[in-house]
Amino acid sequence: MNERSKRQSFLGSQSDRVLGDCSVAIVGLGGGGSHIAQQLAHLGVGSFFLIDPDLVEESNLNRLIGGTVEDATKKTLKTLVASRLVRGINPLAQVVCLDGKWQEFHQILRGSDIIFGCLDTYRDRYELEITARRYLLPYIDIGMDVHEVEGRFSVSGQVILSMPGSLCMRCLGFLREDLLAREAENYAAAGGRPQVVWANGALASAAVGVFTQLFTPWHEGHAECVYLEYDGNNQTVATSNRLAHMRGKQCPHFLQFSDLGDPFWIPEKS
Amino acid sequence: MRVAFKITRTLLGRAFDDLYRPHPFAAERVGFLSCRVGALRPSGWVVLAHDFHSVADEDYLRDRAVGAMMGPAAIRKAMQIALSHEVCMFHVHIHEHRGQPRFSKTDLRETPKFVPDFWHVRPHLVHGAIVLSLDSAAGLCWHPQYPKPFRFSDISIVGAPMVAVRSVNEREI
Repeated sequence: MNERSKRQSFLGSQSDRVLGDCSVAIVGLGGGGSHIAQQLAHLGVGSFFLIDPDLVEESNLNRLIGGTVEDATKKTLKTLVASRLVRGINPLAQVVCLDGKWQEFHQILRGSDIIFGCLDTYRDRYELEITARRYLLPYIDIGMDVHEVEGRFSVSGQVILSMPGSLCMRCLGFLREDLLAREAENYAAAGGRPQVVWANGALASAAVGVFTQLFTPWHEGHAECVYLEYDGNNQTVATSNRLAHMRGKQCPHFLQFSDLGDPFWIPEKS
Repeated sequence: MRVAFKITRTLLGRAFDDLYRPHPFAAERVGFLSCRVGALRPSGWVVLAHDFHSVADEDYLRDRAVGAMMGPAAIRKAMQIALSHEVCMFHVHIHEHRGQPRFSKTDLRETPKFVPDFWHVRPHLVHGAIVLSLDSAAGLCWHPQYPKPFRFSDISIVGAPMVAVRSVNEREI
């Protein structure tokens, strides 16, 4: 175990190697994804696929970890900000920046060990989970929102681990047809959603905790499905009641042979 | 070229449960994993296990030279699965020890004999064999475009906890 990871030795004698061999894809490098990239670099993850098409804007600076005024002025790619952050913490990390929509890089994405989704829309989450299931990749989704209720604001969010073979986000009631349809109807009218650094940080920290427990478990509570709800008004993170309701049930989705792998696979020429 | 293999912990558990059952006369059991494949970039394939298929008791042959010998009916049934569902088929058995398993001389002699049978029904797919140990695995896959088989370069057990075996068994065949 090397010097920098002495304080996390409880993760196991092989944890340096396991984390160093681990390859993560982070889709979305805004308020949530930038936190996750930073924490995974500190943890010692060895390989990163950083995916985001966006440039840094001034409105990002309230929450973008690693983002500077100069980045906003120069319109730096968010992937470059995250890459700089990761390499600054761990110069040995392998970082691949993919500056575009994740759908353009799905063949690269599937070579990772796990996907973090830090996306704004239900539709993107829906599609990314399908891709993760298709290639047997665990998918950790985070997101936050602010709702106005009777003139007051309610800050909330979620962390979901969608593990192939276990309950998916549709089973958990997080992705529903009515939400997808409503989002599609309002697509053109969708404005910037409220985002704040502390809520993003709380959700990202919980997500990295879920990741760490998966790859270097330090206790016996191996959960294949995680659904945590963040209450930003009371500053709590707790297991969702929906998960308790679904415990012991099987996911009825993604069961067909055709739900796995490429629909039409042809090997490259020898 | 990278050839990755992924299987869920649940499916692996089902395979172990079946393969550990005693057989009326064979010293060990064998089975098949049906799999699908995806392309990796910049180069490679990922083989994704979908289901486990037991070999029926009556489809073993009596052969004291080996732990288990499949009869033609076992291969025929596996070929039917490949044909009906457009899947790759991987023969699977257990070596009961911990650590990285290796294919035995018998495995390396017998496997190339039946793999080409699957190309009769699914000629464009990879097929092969997997050997499981108590905590690791190794795999070989063949494709008709390539004269030599490929070893799985990394194997992932997908579940909680996640287990990844990297750069396994690099020796030449």
